[in-house]
Amino acid sequence: MMKNSVVKPACIQSRLRFAVIMLLVVSLGTGLSSCNNQKKLAKKKAAQELAEKTAKAKTDLLAIINDDGKMTLEEKEFKLASVKRMNLDNQEIKDLISQAEEKLTKERASLEQKKEEERLQREREKKERELREGGPYQSINASFDAVAGAGEVSSANMKIREALANFTNEDVPVLILISSDGDIKDYDRPTSIRKYLEFIKDQKKSPNKVLNAVFDSNGKIKELELIKK
Amino acid sequence: MIKVRTILALLAICFAGSGLMAQDQISPSRKQAIDSLALEKVRDLSKYISIVGNKDTPWSEANRVIERTLELFADGAMMGVSTLNSQDINYYGIREYLERLMALNYDKVNIQWYNIQYISDLERQPDGRYVGVITIYQRFEGTTKEGLRYVDVTKKDVTVYVERKTTQISGRIIGFWDVLLGDIRVTETKPGN
Repeated sequence: MMKNSVVKPACIQSRLRFAVIMLLVVSLGTGLSSCNNQKKLAKKKAAQELAEKTAKAKTDLLAIINDDGKMTLEEKEFKLASVKRMNLDNQEIKDLISQAEEKLTKERASLEQKKEEERLQREREKKERELREGGPYQSINASFDAVAGAGEVSSANMKIREALANFTNEDVPVLILISSDGDIKDYDRPTSIRKYLEFIKDQKKSPNKVLNAVFDSNGKIKELELIKK
Repeated sequence: MIKVRTILALLAICFAGSGLMAQDQISPSRKQAIDSLALEKVRDLSKYISIVGNKDTPWSEANRVIERTLELFADGAMMGVSTLNSQDINYYGIREYLERLMALNYDKVNIQWYNIQYISDLERQPDGRYVGVITIYQRFEGTTKEGLRYVDVTKKDVTVYVERKTTQISGRIIGFWDVLLGDIRVTETKPGN
C-alpha cells in the first residue's frame, strides 16, 4: 500500500512540467487576447483620427475653392500646403486639392498681373513726371537758373542770349499759372520770353519752372507755360 | 393771372441774381493765389527801385528797368516822396519819380523795402475789380562823395488793383489776373540807422 502511495520523483517532475506548460499556455492565451484588443483600439483610434483629418482637409479645401475674397491668397496657400502635408490617401481629397491648386494658380497669376500693371503704371507716371520736371524741360529750367545766378549784367545778358536760342523768337508767349481750381486756370499777366528772362535777371531769382512747352517743327519752343517751383 | 406772372418774374430775377453772385465768388485757394500775386508784384517793384537807385547800375539797364517798372503801374499812378528835412510830401508820376531817383546827387544809394504786408485785404468792388492796400517800409541810404550819409525809413501804403481779364493766345482764350499798382502814399518818415 505504502509502496503504491509513494509517487516517483520522475512522475512529480513530469507533472510539474505539465503544470508549467499549462500555465504558460494560459498566460500566453490571455496575453494574446489583450494585445489583440489593444491593436483593435489603436486601429479604431487611427481610423477616427484619419476621418477627422479628412473632414478638416475637406472643409479647408472647400473653403479655398469657394472663397470669394474673404481670405488672402497667402492664407489660402498656407491652408492648401497644410492639407498637402497630411498626405491623405483619399481620392476625394486629391480631387479637391487639384481644384484648389488650379484656383490658386489662377489667383496668383491674376495678382502678379495686377502687380505688374501697377508697376508699369508707376513707371509711366515716373517717366511723365521726369519729362515734365526734368527731361526735355530740364535744359530750359537750367537756363533760367543760369540767368538768375549770373552775377554780372554782361554775364546775365550772355545767358539770356543762350536761353533765347531755344525759342522761335523773343516774343514767344509765356504764361505763368498761379492757381488751378478744377477746370478754371488762373494765370499772371502773359509776358514774352525776352521779358521773362529779363525779369529773372533783375530779380536774381527763378521762381517758376516749365509746366508745358509747345515746340515747332525745328524743335524750338513757340509757347511756354510755367508754374511756381 | 397777372399776379402769377409777377411772382414768376420775381422768382426768375432772384435765381438770375443768385447765379451772378455765385459767379462772382471765387474759391479761397484762388483768392489766396491772387493775394500772393499782388504781394509778389510789390516785391518785384522793390527790386526794380533798388536797381534804378543803385549808382552801379549801367544807364541803359536802369532805363530798361524803368520801362519794366512802369508796366507794374496803373496809368496816372503817383509816388509820394518825403525827406527828413521837410514836412512836405511831394507826389510825382512814376516815370518822373524813377528818373529823379536815377539822378540823385549821391555817390552811393541803397534802397531796401521790408515788412511788405497787407493792411487792407483785397476786396471785390462793384465794378468787379479787387482793391487792397499793402504797406511797406523803405530804408533809404545815400552817401555823398565826401562820405556824408543820409538815412531815413519811410512807411508807404501801396494801393493794389487786381482785375480778371482774358486774352487770346494761339487761338485759346486765356484768363489771367492783371495786377496794377496805384498811388504809393507816404504815411511816416523817420531817421534811420
